[in-house]
Amino acid sequence: MEKDQFKTRLEIAKKKISKKNLYNNNDNPSSIGTAFKLSTELVAAVAVGTIIGYIFDKTFGTKPWFILIFFFVGVIAGIMNVIRSAKNMQK
Amino acid sequence: MAANPMTQFNVYRIGPEIKIGVFDISFTNASLFMIISSLAVLLVFNIGSKKNSLLPNKIQLLAELSYTFVSKMISDTAGLKAKPYFAFIFSLFMFVLFCNMFGMIPYTFTVTSHIIVTFVLASFIFIGVTVIGFMKHGFGYLKLFVPSGVPKVLLPLIVVIEIISYLSRPVSLSVRLFANMMAGHTMMKVFGGFVISLGIVGGWLPLSFSVALTGLEILVAFLQAYVFAILTCIYLNDALNLHH
Repeated sequence: MEKDQFKTRLEIAKKKISKKNLYNNNDNPSSIGTAFKLSTELVAAVAVGTIIGYIFDKTFGTKPWFILIFFFVGVIAGIMNVIRSAKNMQK
Repeated sequence: MAANPMTQFNVYRIGPEIKIGVFDISFTNASLFMIISSLAVLLVFNIGSKKNSLLPNKIQLLAELSYTFVSKMISDTAGLKAKPYFAFIFSLFMFVLFCNMFGMIPYTFTVTSHIIVTFVLASFIFIGVTVIGFMKHGFGYLKLFVPSGVPKVLLPLIVVIEIISYLSRPVSLSVRLFANMMAGHTMMKVFGGFVISLGIVGGWLPLSFSVALTGLEILVAFLQAYVFAILTCIYLNDALNLHH
């Protein structure tokens, strides 16, 4: 009895899969994750830029200059990252 | 009095001290919980795939659901070309998820709340993706740093910016997971401390906060594992399908 019921249910499920609506539910998990993603994206690029500037300053002995330049380049890169991932989210 | 909320992140040695040269590779509580979570993953999927019954029991359902979940995630974000990397992304997702979830059990240690753990994971992904990119496209992979349609004057600046943004990937990937886990667990401990110090009269408010936070933390634990895996897919997608 139960096996028959299960078989019909399996048939229905198989039909559903063949219609390919198994992969069509585009649900967003949560907006906390995406919001946090944007903020870390911004901060990480600034940090990386500053670290690169620091390393260049250490090796070439040009104390404040590279760290200043690369800080701002990092800020630009961070903003670009944010814009890029925001564009990806809208797709 | 309330205990220090940061003591939960202490790493301490279990068993004898082992040293190779200057490196201390003793067995710690962090290593213990990494081993526990990897064994738990293995156990769940061994039991789940042992009996392939048509009517799945709970463990089999868990295994099958997570399989379809990750496989859908990969095909959605990185396309069919990323199928060979399924095993890597799946084990990565499961490991991070189980580490996060084991951290939710009281008196356990959250491995992913240490930046060195998440940073090592992220740098492996970063190096791996870069190697895959160079293997698939050769030096053409460097085109990733040169977006098309940029005036020649601006090109040096843009390339530097693109390189920094590429290098910032492992940093943002690891900081995200680590910061979420650490902030959440610290907050839970702080509210738990409030419950004790306010006593039976005023302790109910922080207690209810604590309950809500626990629910939120379980959500965050899952979500961060998901984000970690999906960003790996996105980076893999960049490496596999160059379209800049």
